[in-house]
Amino acid sequence: MDAANITLVLVIVTALAFDFTNGFHDTANAMAASISTGALKPKVAVGLSAVLNLVGAFLSVQVALTVTNAVINLQAKDGAPKAELVANGGESILLIILAGLAGGILWNLFTWLLGLPSSSSHALLGGLTGATAAGLGLAGVKWTGDGTKLDGVVGKILLPSLISPIIAIIVAFTGCWLVHKVTQSVMHRLEERYFRYGQVGSASLVSIAHGTNDAQKTMGVMTLALIASGHWTSTTSIPVWVKVSAATAIAAGTYLGGWRIIRTLGKGLVDITPRQGMSSDGATAAVLLSASHLGFALSTTHVATGSVLGGGLGRGTPVRWSTAGRMATAWATTFPIAALVGALMWWIGNLVGGAAGALLVFAILVGASTWIFRNSRRERVSAENVNDEWDRAAEITSPAFEHAPVTHAGAPADPDAEPRDTAEPTETKTH
Amino acid sequence: MNTLNLLYQGASKVFVAGLVFGAGLPFVYALALRVLTIGSTSYADANGEIHSTPRMSSRLFAGLLIAVVVAGIIVGLMIIVATGFGKEVSFEHLYPTIVEKSK
Repeated sequence: MDAANITLVLVIVTALAFDFTNGFHDTANAMAASISTGALKPKVAVGLSAVLNLVGAFLSVQVALTVTNAVINLQAKDGAPKAELVANGGESILLIILAGLAGGILWNLFTWLLGLPSSSSHALLGGLTGATAAGLGLAGVKWTGDGTKLDGVVGKILLPSLISPIIAIIVAFTGCWLVHKVTQSVMHRLEERYFRYGQVGSASLVSIAHGTNDAQKTMGVMTLALIASGHWTSTTSIPVWVKVSAATAIAAGTYLGGWRIIRTLGKGLVDITPRQGMSSDGATAAVLLSASHLGFALSTTHVATGSVLGGGLGRGTPVRWSTAGRMATAWATTFPIAALVGALMWWIGNLVGGAAGALLVFAILVGASTWIFRNSRRERVSAENVNDEWDRAAEITSPAFEHAPVTHAGAPADPDAEPRDTAEPTETKTH
Repeated sequence: MNTLNLLYQGASKVFVAGLVFGAGLPFVYALALRVLTIGSTSYADANGEIHSTPRMSSRLFAGLLIAVVVAGIIVGLMIIVATGFGKEVSFEHLYPTIVEKSK
């Protein structure tokens, strides 16, 4: 095997690993609210979301080969890699993709360790942008569009991430307010489970949409690598094994469940009731699908978080603004830090050069991932304790690093929280 | 400036559609639940579970409202499927149809 082929194998493995992190990082977007309101048991929720992600991924028949074109200039309009980059078995473009994916994975894992929801798409595109800037210079980066549509780092990443949480907050706030207005006089006569049905329905839509959109991105990146190395020629179809493996990876990741992030989004930000949960999930589904229909790129994470916040505010439920602040910081830093790591990885890989360089990048990725995983074991968050009360004291005293507090059964509930309409399922609190 | 203009155009459309469907459909669903309580007799049993028997007219109206919500969900599914196939949903016939992308 020559250097290009070894790099290609590493790219494929790394792309599937990214897809996997993409799955568990984003489970929270669809299911955090349903889990925290007790609409679905934690394991059932991630199982349902995983199956729907798989269905969604297989629904993506379209080839998302041009996904990187939003922010970088590696490919021509039809998705074929630029001619000057495919010399030598595509080694140069393969190293850029490998370094970029490594940047995306490491940021996803790091934010998962901190229990913070952040956009997987921004992490992927950030990593690729950094690696491209390092490899081809800043000219390889597309900052803005040509003026006819929103494009580039500013138009596709920066501006939508500022605007999407605001839209979601207002929509969820309005929905929650309306739902309460119309049902409050008969509150005691309505069963919570009907609101939970509504919640599960919207969460399911979000899960399918996630599978369709996000698996497509990994498939696109894998196919780009195959074309660059001369193993595939078509720009209008993708190999079946790419589709099957990417769909499986995202579904498996979703099933694993990013419990740390689910906990932060479902419990740490604001503690919501099924009525608020239905409004939040409805807002997430509607805003995402409207955006998808209108061709306006929004991050699922930003919309889902905004919706949970809006659902909480719609009832005046206390919001833990410190958690919200940490999330906002994670959003603002996702793209630049993933880019920085991507660039660093490219420099390291390029310095050593050839297959050894690519192997070194891969080894660093594995090493850093293992380190993050070991740290995550110190304070585990799992299906068993994901719904425990959010301990405010632990949140203030423990360093951000070891945050995502695991509290103890019987810990006093948040004194400011309004009484919940329904009892929590008790089995999640015993351990 | 042009970028901001494009942002405003895109975001305002998403905002309006999001508000109509995202706040509207949960509202219609809640309304259906509210309607079911009109003129119904309900009681809580020893376990605290609520049993109620809504009037026929309430049931019909609530069914109509639920149908609106279901229609919204179907449109949502159509948008997902269309995205997956690289197509888009058109509303030119009033009812949604999946068509080739216009752009």
